[in-house]
Amino acid sequence: MGISTILGVTACKATRGLLRIAKRGGTTVPGRAAMVFDKNILAKVSENMDTIIVTGTNGKTTTCRMLEQALSKSLEGTDKTVLANKSGANLLKGVTAEFTANATFTGKPKSQYAIIECDEGALKQVAPLVKPKVILVTNLFRDQLDRYGEVTHTLEHIRIGIEKVPKATICLNADCSLVSSLAKDIPNEVIYYGIDCPYGDQSDPEISDAKYCINCGTEYEYDYHTYAHLGGFKCPKCGYKRHATDVAVTSVDKLTAKGTELTMEFSDSATGGRVPCRGNSDNEYKRDTGPVPLSRKQEHVLVGLPAIYNVYNAVGAICAYTAAGFERADIIKSLAETGTSFGRMETFKLDGVDVQMILVKNPAGCNQAINYVTSIEEDKTVAVCLNDRTADGHDISWIWDAEYERIAEDDRIKNIIVSGDRAEDIGLRLKYGGVDESRIEIVKGWDNLINRMKQSDNPVFVLPNYTSMTSLRAPLAEITGKGEFWKG
Amino acid sequence: MEGLKICHLYPEVLNLYGDRGNILCMKRRLEWRGIDCTVEELKLGEKRDLTQYDLFFIGGGQDFEQEVLLEDLKSGKGEEIKSAVNDGKTFLCICGGYQMMGHYYETYKGERNEFLGAVDFHTIGGEVRMIGNYTFTTGEESGETQVVGYENHSGRTYLGDGVTPLGNVIKGYGNNGDDGTEGVRYNNVFGTYSHGPALPKNPEFADVILATTLEYKYGKRIELEPIQDVMESKAHESVYNKIMSGEIK
Repeated sequence: MGISTILGVTACKATRGLLRIAKRGGTTVPGRAAMVFDKNILAKVSENMDTIIVTGTNGKTTTCRMLEQALSKSLEGTDKTVLANKSGANLLKGVTAEFTANATFTGKPKSQYAIIECDEGALKQVAPLVKPKVILVTNLFRDQLDRYGEVTHTLEHIRIGIEKVPKATICLNADCSLVSSLAKDIPNEVIYYGIDCPYGDQSDPEISDAKYCINCGTEYEYDYHTYAHLGGFKCPKCGYKRHATDVAVTSVDKLTAKGTELTMEFSDSATGGRVPCRGNSDNEYKRDTGPVPLSRKQEHVLVGLPAIYNVYNAVGAICAYTAAGFERADIIKSLAETGTSFGRMETFKLDGVDVQMILVKNPAGCNQAINYVTSIEEDKTVAVCLNDRTADGHDISWIWDAEYERIAEDDRIKNIIVSGDRAEDIGLRLKYGGVDESRIEIVKGWDNLINRMKQSDNPVFVLPNYTSMTSLRAPLAEITGKGEFWKG
Repeated sequence: MEGLKICHLYPEVLNLYGDRGNILCMKRRLEWRGIDCTVEELKLGEKRDLTQYDLFFIGGGQDFEQEVLLEDLKSGKGEEIKSAVNDGKTFLCICGGYQMMGHYYETYKGERNEFLGAVDFHTIGGEVRMIGNYTFTTGEESGETQVVGYENHSGRTYLGDGVTPLGNVIKGYGNNGDDGTEGVRYNNVFGTYSHGPALPKNPEFADVILATTLEYKYGKRIELEPIQDVMESKAHESVYNKIMSGEIK
């Protein structure tokens, strides 16, 4: 340990303290301060910890929350603790800040475990320093194209990150043809999770971010769909197909606004133990090739969050949790009580008005959010907020790929508000989606938006993208007496 | 009046960056004026008589998917597209779809992919992507309108002698970041790097394309009824002001 580590830790803690006094989350500046003194300080302040990293386009924050809650609960009564970057600052500087602030002044970690969400592009920097035990890749969708170019480039970034930590166990979403292609050519042990059964409308999705085989360019065929391009894909030409799952949902039994009931199966050779793929054409499970697994345990699982994408988050979390060597029973118990996290289906009571905030960052996530909002059978107000800052992606073209038409079709939506840097763009999208433009209220400024929401006769559903969520949530949380986000 | 038939070429491959917005925009702006509009998709491997269509739309795509497409063009579809261009049919080609209309694409490493060659220009891959909001004004034959958009391309496009640019860059990169030109206009082909929803925020430009198509179809100038472009103007102006003030790049 050198003087540079002490200086780095001190700089990090000092700037973080100052920023919090100033009521700013300050999640990356302290990391930058620490790195001035010791570029690789992250390796030091995370040494010998058991870490799970979660990456992928959608679901990182919620999945981490599920993992962190389960682990914290299981550690109750022990002297061990878990560290997590709850604020969502998931680039190298943000992750560095989180670990450094939680280390002693000599750079020794105070916690034994860490649950870290990591940006797809930053994985190659973060992973070699943190040396995770497990990396979970949730899914890949078109997102913030101007940052990474294209989905396939993002995939390459993730692959490079994984290759740098060959000892880490990799948990992959078997239903995402892009994610599961990572298994090719990596030295790591791989575990697959997914949904083994169809969910929802089985027609071909109108928008697919992965319609053609990533190996040979032939159009995939699907045994079944779950949502967007996820499902039982197979390439008729080169044979690339959905891999058999080790952690699987075999039926979605009940899905309500409050949560989801699932039947799951686990292959029980703990972390490895491949089971043969279960295709389910003809609504009948058929074993594919390979031996029947010795034991595939069935269990009922309750997830305390609505929507199909949270089913994926839960299954991914179970997969990563057990891959890291923790008890499956603990996370299953904890999932039933999972709360919403920071802007993801989070609810507020604003002067008697129910406000629910659903973060949307890309077409796939947006369609799921619109699905949820329009499925609620009561009168409501919808507020769509759109910023175009660096963390959002300067390119907002994706709004034209999301199905805002369904907002126009829902006659229980009594008021439509648009807000944020690019309020007019989202207003225009809604107009071309079929909403009469005289119904679209442009409200600029977060305080104005909050005042407008207070006047709503109906519950308000807010659909913000990333920085509009963080900017709106801060004053909203303050008014409604919720905690500041770094307090979790 | 008989409606317009739009052919959306390769929608399953060339659909990056919200291209749907352009189709939706043209469709709505025709419908609001009581002009029928049908959109048919023409996918890989599908063959149909192209002379039945009035307007062709080609969007942008991901690299690895574009290879699939070049093969399909060689099956005869490419020749039909060329004939349609020469006949004066309207084409709106965006980003990758725009590049595809040129002679070839030479990668940064010097690999050359032969493209359609329907319009006289070529593209050379660059090391650095040209990314950001930008604005240009379209030339005299394309209505002299002001367009705001978003570009994201590493290819640098150089126009041949026989064609004119679609417009001149006011702020941003355009075709190659050097000569101030943006896009191409040849016969009734409109090619541009303004990807995604190029049209909704630029209603005047959208109407130039629709008017061009109607004029060809009916052999005479057809005045389009004006539309109350309230939200369109607000969106256009807010982005234009941000680009010009340097608030967004």
